Amino acid sequence: MDFFGNVMMGLETALTLTNLFYCFLGVFLGMLVGVIPGIGVLSAISLLFPITFYLDPTTALIMLAGIWYGTGYGGRTASILLNIPGSASNAVTCLDGYPMARQGRAGVALFMTTVASFVGGCIGILVLMLFAPIIASYAITFGSAEYFALMVLGVVAASTISDGSVIKGLAMVVLGIAFGTVGMDSQTAASRFTFGVIELLDGLSLIALAMGVFGVAEVISSVRRVEVGEVLKQNVGMRSMKPTRDDVRRSWMPMLRGSGIGTFFGTLPGTGPAVASFMAYVVERRVAPQPERFGHGAIEGIMAPEAADNAAEQTSFVPTLSLGIPGSATMALMLGVLMIHGITPGPSLINSQPQLFWGLIMSFWIGNVLLVILNVPLIGLWVRLLTIPYRLLYPSVLMFICIGAYSISYSAVDVWFILFFGALGYLMRVLGLPAAPLLLGFVLGPLMEEHFRRAMLLARGDFLVFLERPVSAAVMTLTVLLLVWSGVSALRRRNRGPVAT
Amino acid sequence: MATIAVQAPQKRRGPAVAPRVRRKHDRSDNQMLKRDYRDMVAGALLCAAGLFITLYAIHNYQVGTLRRMGPGMFPMGTGVLLTFFGIMLFIPALFRPGSRVSLRFWSPLFVLSSIAAFALLVGPFGLFPAVMGVVVISSMAELEIRPASLAGLVAALCTMAWLIFKVGLGLSLPMLNWPF
Repeated sequence: MDFFGNVMMGLETALTLTNLFYCFLGVFLGMLVGVIPGIGVLSAISLLFPITFYLDPTTALIMLAGIWYGTGYGGRTASILLNIPGSASNAVTCLDGYPMARQGRAGVALFMTTVASFVGGCIGILVLMLFAPIIASYAITFGSAEYFALMVLGVVAASTISDGSVIKGLAMVVLGIAFGTVGMDSQTAASRFTFGVIELLDGLSLIALAMGVFGVAEVISSVRRVEVGEVLKQNVGMRSMKPTRDDVRRSWMPMLRGSGIGTFFGTLPGTGPAVASFMAYVVERRVAPQPERFGHGAIEGIMAPEAADNAAEQTSFVPTLSLGIPGSATMALMLGVLMIHGITPGPSLINSQPQLFWGLIMSFWIGNVLLVILNVPLIGLWVRLLTIPYRLLYPSVLMFICIGAYSISYSAVDVWFILFFGALGYLMRVLGLPAAPLLLGFVLGPLMEEHFRRAMLLARGDFLVFLERPVSAAVMTLTVLLLVWSGVSALRRRNRGPVAT
Repeated sequence: MATIAVQAPQKRRGPAVAPRVRRKHDRSDNQMLKRDYRDMVAGALLCAAGLFITLYAIHNYQVGTLRRMGPGMFPMGTGVLLTFFGIMLFIPALFRPGSRVSLRFWSPLFVLSSIAAFALLVGPFGLFPAVMGVVVISSMAELEIRPASLAGLVAALCTMAWLIFKVGLGLSLPMLNWPF
C-alpha cells in the first residue's frame, strides 16, 4: 500500500469514537501527571496499565502514548509557574521560564512553549512516519544474532548514558533480566525460580513490577517532602498570552534547532527527552549572541528545550516500533502492552499490523492538537490543579495501584507482589540503584534469551557468530566503544576531585 | 546529565517562593563518612543475589551446552554477571568517602502496610473496606491525622472507585461483603 493509503487508513483507525476517546483520556491524564510534581510519567502509565487488558491493543497504545507525550506539555506549567519541574524533561525550562513568570510574562511563556511543543511534536511525528517504515523494511533481514546484539546495545546505552554510576545501571539491567527468567522456560517448559508458587508459572507480572518499583517507591519517598508551593498570582488568560514581535522573532530559530536536536536524541537508545532538552538548552546558550541573557528570562531558553522534549518524545517510537527495541523504560512498557496482547514486536510489526502502526501515528497528530486546545484556552484549570496538596493525592494513587493490580486476575496475590516490589523499589532508591534499567531488562530479558539461544543453536555454540555477521559486528563494536567511553569518563571524573554522586 | 538538570533550578530558587521541597527528617545530609557504605551495601546485596541465582540455577536446572542450552544456562549467566557487578561496586566503595544515607522509617511502614491492608481486606470484605484501609493507613504516613479531611477523602475515593471500576469498566468486584 502506498504512503497516502496508509495515512488514510491510520486516520480512519484513529478517528473511531473509541480511539478518539482514549486518545483524549491519555493526553488529559498526561497533562494532569505532567502538571502535578511528585507523580512521574512511569507511575502514571503503570497505573493505567491494567485497563489495557480490556482494550484493543491499538486503543491501549494510543492511550498510553498519549500519557507519554502529554506530560511533555504538562510538565512545563509547574516549571514556569513554580520553578519546580513537573517531570524531569522539563527541568531546564525552569531556568528561563520562571524568571519570565516573575517578570509578569507567565502567559507569554506558557503560550509560546505550547507552540514550541506542538512544532517539536509535529516534526518528530513526521520523522517517525518517514523513517520507521524504511528502517523496518531494512531490519526485516535481521537474524537472531543481530537482534541479540541490538538489544545488548539498547540496554547498555540505557544504563551508561542515564545519570549515575554505569556499574549500577548495568547491574540493574542484569537483575531485570534475571527477574525476566522467572516462570516457565519457553523452550523446555521447565519452571524456573517459581519456588512452588503456582502464580509465578506465568512469570512475574510486568504491572506489579512497574507499579511497585515506580509508583509505590515514588510515593514512599515523596510523602512529607512534596508540598504545595505558592503559585505566582498572575492572570494567565488569553490576553496575557500575546507575545511581542520581538518574542516571535527570537523564538522560531531556537524552536527549529531544538526540534532537530530532540528528533536526533529521541531515536537513540538511552537518551530520552530529558537529555534532549538539556542538550538543546546548552546549544542555544552557545550559539546565542548575548549568552548573558540566559537565566534571566530569555525566551530562547524555553523554546528550544520544550521543542526538543516533545520531538524526542515522538521519535523515541522509531526504534520501538521499527525494530521492537525500546530505548527507555517507558517504551519498554509500550512493548509490554503489545506482548500482553500476543503481538510480537519487531520489524514485521509495521507490515503485519498496519492498522496499529498507522493508527497510532495518526493519533499522535490528533493528540497534539487536543493538547494545544487543553493548553491555550484551558490553562487556568491546570494552574488551579497545582494547588492540590500531596497528602490528598498520594492515598488516591495508592488506591488506584491496589485496585488496578487486584483487577488483573481478582486475586490478592498481585497486590502482595506490589508490596514486594514497592519495598524493593524503595530499597533501590535508598541505595541509589536506578529503577528504569531494571524495567528495561525485565521486558527485554525473555526476548534476549530467546534470540541468544537461537543464535547459538544456529552457530553450533560458536560465540564468534556475533562478530562474523557484519551488522551484529558493527553493533557489538559500538556497544564496546560505549562501555569504554563511559569507563574513561567515569575515571576522569574521579581524578578531577571528590565524586559527586 | 539528568541529575544536573534536576538540581539546577533549586539553586536559582527566588526568595518569593515558599520552598516546596523540605527535608526536616533527614538528619545530616552533608555529613561525610569514611567509606561509601551505601555502595558497599548495594554491592554486597547484588553480589549475594547473583551468587544465589547462579547456585540455584546450577543445582536445580539443566545447564546444557552452548550449542544446546538447557533452562539453567541463561539464568546462570545473569547470576555470574550480577555477582561480577556487585564486586565491581563493592571494592571501589571501600576506598572512597561517602555521604550518609537518609533512611525513612514511617513512610515505608505506613505505605507498605496500607497495601497489605488492601490485600487482606479486599477478598473477604469487598472493595469499600479495602479502599478505606489503604486510604486511612497510608494517610498516617503524614504523621498527623485530620479526621474531617480524611473522612471526606475516603468518601470521595469510594465513590470514585465505584464509578470508575464498577460503572465505567464493569468489573465484577463486590463493593461490600460480610463473610460471617
